[in-house]
Amino acid sequence: MQLLLVDDEKDFVETLAERLSLRGIQADWVTSAEAAEAKIKDHRYDLLLLDVKMPRVGGRELKKIIEKQQPGIKTIYLTGHGSEEDYQAGSAEAEYYLMKPININDLIAKIHDALGNKGD
Amino acid sequence: MTNAIDPMGEAGLQFYSKVSASISHDIKNSLAVINESAGYLEDVTLMAKKGMNIDINRLETLAGSMLKQVQRANTIVKNMNRLAHSLDDPACQTDLNALIELMLRLSERTTVTRGVKVSAAFSDPAITITTHPFYVENLIWLILNFGMDVVGDAKAIDITPEKIDSGAAVHFTGLEKLTPEALDTFQTEPLRQMLAALKSTLQSDEKSGRITLVFPENITR
Repeated sequence: MQLLLVDDEKDFVETLAERLSLRGIQADWVTSAEAAEAKIKDHRYDLLLLDVKMPRVGGRELKKIIEKQQPGIKTIYLTGHGSEEDYQAGSAEAEYYLMKPININDLIAKIHDALGNKGD
Repeated sequence: MTNAIDPMGEAGLQFYSKVSASISHDIKNSLAVINESAGYLEDVTLMAKKGMNIDINRLETLAGSMLKQVQRANTIVKNMNRLAHSLDDPACQTDLNALIELMLRLSERTTVTRGVKVSAAFSDPAITITTHPFYVENLIWLILNFGMDVVGDAKAIDITPEKIDSGAAVHFTGLEKLTPEALDTFQTEPLRQMLAALKSTLQSDEKSGRITLVFPENITR
């Protein structure tokens, strides 16, 4: 399976990608929506892990942009903190809406679930 | 139950709540980095126990990252503490440079998220006025939030404090899309009450895209 992680916290996204890699899940990572758009042009991904709040273009807006190029792509949102309204809206749009800090085993279970276990 | 809610008090609570929410978001981000770094250390420790080699340089980088995040979170909490203490006294000696710097830091997540660069040209020497710091902070926060709606294409707002004969002025420039209509909508009852309570005025110059707050030297006189 191929994942794309997008989060403006470089130390977070880099280390998370490494930890996923240690568990056999390959994940590319970038730190901005603009870099994600560039990445998606020549890569196909099974799942997006998107930070909801990023400078200029947030995860929810980025999902809409990427979906135009890769319709039906699965998404898990990550957020530091959000309002109940954010949670309701985000949960309706994505497979999962997870709060940071995240539990790696919980995240992996959700990734497999979102992909219908095809990554197992 | 009464409908007579104090508009200025309610606006103050809204300001405090928004800043608190933003700060909790930032702290959670720091915790998330520390969590992943600690998790990675746990991962490689388990690998080392199984005889696999450890990349010492990577461990050093992770340790540095965790220390950096602890410092970051500590600064965030210190700033929150400064904001909380600005309610201690209804009138106290207030260094405008320090207050503006605090507001830049507390507004950073919002401004960065909206892609707006906010900078300040601090005065030298510092300008000190006797005022209610919390409501000055609230006013600056309100103007910054409004300013992001009317900022020019450069997406940059500059804040400049200035000593004037009657006290101090704080100029906000870069608001090139400022219109009389937008300004009229912005000047709500809570804002008017805050200006009155601080014995201050809000002046605007749409042509040069500028808003200026004028404060007296001493609010108690």
